[in-house]
Amino acid sequence: MSSETDTTVIARTVVRVVVPIILLTAVALLLQGHNLPGGGFIAGVLTVTAFALVYIVFGREFLQRSLLHVEEDGFLGGAIGEYGRTFTFGLALAASAGVGSIVLGELLDDGQFEFLTQGVVFVYHVPVYHEIEIPTALFFDLGVYFVVVGALLTILAVVGRE
Amino acid sequence: MVSEPVSGTLGLLVVGGLVVASLVTLAAGYRVVRGPTTPDRVVALDVIGTNVVAIALLFALVTGQGLFVDVSLVLAIIGFISTVAVARYVTEGDIIE
Repeated sequence: MSSETDTTVIARTVVRVVVPIILLTAVALLLQGHNLPGGGFIAGVLTVTAFALVYIVFGREFLQRSLLHVEEDGFLGGAIGEYGRTFTFGLALAASAGVGSIVLGELLDDGQFEFLTQGVVFVYHVPVYHEIEIPTALFFDLGVYFVVVGALLTILAVVGRE
Repeated sequence: MVSEPVSGTLGLLVVGGLVVASLVTLAAGYRVVRGPTTPDRVVALDVIGTNVVAIALLFALVTGQGLFVDVSLVLAIIGFISTVAVARYVTEGDIIE
């Protein structure tokens, strides 16, 4: 770490406090996304915002080597490769979100469910959160979340390398 | 998350706050257009962002709908990171080292 371009102690301390709050907001927006404003896209954007703060204030080396434990190497390896795999996983999850009902209908053997049949599960007595609503739309939202995180972090890492 | 809109003296104060925040946003917009240097424009844009956060919160009070609080929270986070990024660009010349 060169002392010439180091950020100040104030910036480092503020980022240390703010990043968990941003990630918590992202998770809250992801969980309420099916019946209130929020959802996969804005949760992904907020997660990338937290990563971008660490990129800006602590530097690329710190994030990729100390937090993500990936070694720096070529264009498609290392951290950028990880982001690309996140993107691919999210795309696969979002694409297969509607197919799950067909598979479940075959397994449960009580009649065929149509493509994109919906359902919801309520989980009660969760500490702090009290009640979590898990609809099948959450899996599509999770796919969108991983797509946004992977795509934006790839852009950030590639542009930051230059 | 829908509750009763504010009324009475507090309602008048909230509407007054909305008017003041909107006027400050207009004044900051003038500084964004005219501002002789880049830091002037950056600070004015930051003021606009903060005022939009305030307007969203006051609007949540006027309408009694809690979802506008989420809007202001996300706007505040995005405004914070954009200010940090621009400050680093102005002082260092590049954003990510």
